Amino acid sequence: MSEELRVSDIETRGKAGKKRYAMVVDVRRCIGCMACQVACKAEFDTPLGVNRTWVPYKVIGKYPTVRKAFLPRLCNHCDDAPCVRNCPVEATFKVEDGGFILQRYERCIGCRSCMAACPYNARFMLPSHRTYTPITNVVDKCTFCFHRVTQNLVPACVQTCIGRSRVFGDINDPNSEVSYLVANNATQVLRPEEGTKPHVFYIGADRNQTEFGRDAYRKPEVMEQERSAFKRHFKI
Amino acid sequence: MGDYTWFHDVSWHSTYAIYFFVIGVCAGLAFLSYGSWKTPALRPLREKAAYGSFILLVIGGILLIADLSQPLRFLNVLNPAYLNFNSPLAWGALNILAFSVASVVYLTMLRKGDEKTSRLLATIVALLALGLPIYTGYDLSAHQSRPVWNTPIMPVLFVALAVASGSAVGALLAGANDAAQRILREYMLWSTGAVGVILISILGTTNYGGSAQELTYLIMTTGSMGLIFIGIGLLAGTAAPVALLLAPTGRQQGGLMLSAVLILVGSAALRYALLMGPQQLQTLY
Repeated sequence: MSEELRVSDIETRGKAGKKRYAMVVDVRRCIGCMACQVACKAEFDTPLGVNRTWVPYKVIGKYPTVRKAFLPRLCNHCDDAPCVRNCPVEATFKVEDGGFILQRYERCIGCRSCMAACPYNARFMLPSHRTYTPITNVVDKCTFCFHRVTQNLVPACVQTCIGRSRVFGDINDPNSEVSYLVANNATQVLRPEEGTKPHVFYIGADRNQTEFGRDAYRKPEVMEQERSAFKRHFKI
Repeated sequence: MGDYTWFHDVSWHSTYAIYFFVIGVCAGLAFLSYGSWKTPALRPLREKAAYGSFILLVIGGILLIADLSQPLRFLNVLNPAYLNFNSPLAWGALNILAFSVASVVYLTMLRKGDEKTSRLLATIVALLALGLPIYTGYDLSAHQSRPVWNTPIMPVLFVALAVASGSAVGALLAGANDAAQRILREYMLWSTGAVGVILISILGTTNYGGSAQELTYLIMTTGSMGLIFIGIGLLAGTAAPVALLLAPTGRQQGGLMLSAVLILVGSAALRYALLMGPQQLQTLY
């Protein structure tokens, strides 16, 4: 016997008559081709050094049983988004019907409070130089391809995913593929302890990727070398 | 080995730490100017503290605005149509604005020599000044995903740091005034002692937290961040001045001045470490 899920005012999941878009990432099907990252870059002219979606990986296990564990990352479009709560000028807001967390670029003051609030590092500061777009020096993030979804298209990363690892849809619709996947598979979300109610669900994610790695501290000098190499060409 | 880690940037850079320090001293000096109405020994500091507080407010405001990536849009924070009252930053902006206005009026009344109005305004300025460290602390503690920041004691720590650093600047301004120095010694001793107790409790809860807390504890207590936080902040800037103030030399002018300098250096280091340390782990996630 199941009890009806209680829904707070801020939540849109399970709310009758409302859409609630979500993404399911089946990491068992991810081959690490980074096509999603490229598609996103192409869709939004995201500059070098910053990404709306990215696919970090870790090498897990010991020879000869080693494998790469991928974890495609993006904004989790949380139901209780700390970035929305922390923005002093409501430059970040939640779309009631759909649950998209979006950004008003013309209002953003660049205080980076939303970046500090996001547990997923999904937000970044746009550099002052861009080739085709005049939007600079404000905080940006994944929009779940709001412009495409409102035209009945799926996000660019989902469209391009070669292994159908990424699936997108309305989780409030019991007949949608995302509802089916979430109902029939063991899924996990990133950092559930933060209470943000994220809407990117992972199937088969490795805990070495989803949790803070203990090796984050073990070799700080190696980490710093890697960090400086990583940042060498990115002057933002 | 062979991993692909995306290295994120810290959200708030060291400019914020300087701002925290400047605005803390600014609030501390406002408390002293108010205290001069209650404690006659502090009377020589009244104007000095009030002017010092206002100058630091201007410097802090410039730092805060310059750190925005869209500095001219700082006016958006004052636009009632845009203001998000769920954000501690919005409340902070309103607090700073109200404090600025009250400070200007207070300074004007002090110049006019209107004692009755100045006394009332000193109380209002002190209450608004109390809001400055509270909001800066709350600004950090509101981020639920950050170890160390997300502790309810953070605003209290910032208030204690403001009293300590404000009293330290007051002790340097008081010079050879024995009566004022005696009072300021008490302020420095108790507020720095409170800072020490709060820091130890924060370190305890951080060390016994989850993996993020545990790793942040390691980051903050070892390496270069450990030198700043433990070495300069906790030992040289908190424990040493408390010991010095308790010793007989702490009652003499030289010892008091040395304690004041140590407290100022320590409180600057603590603000830097408390801001930057808890952001490091997140850059690897």
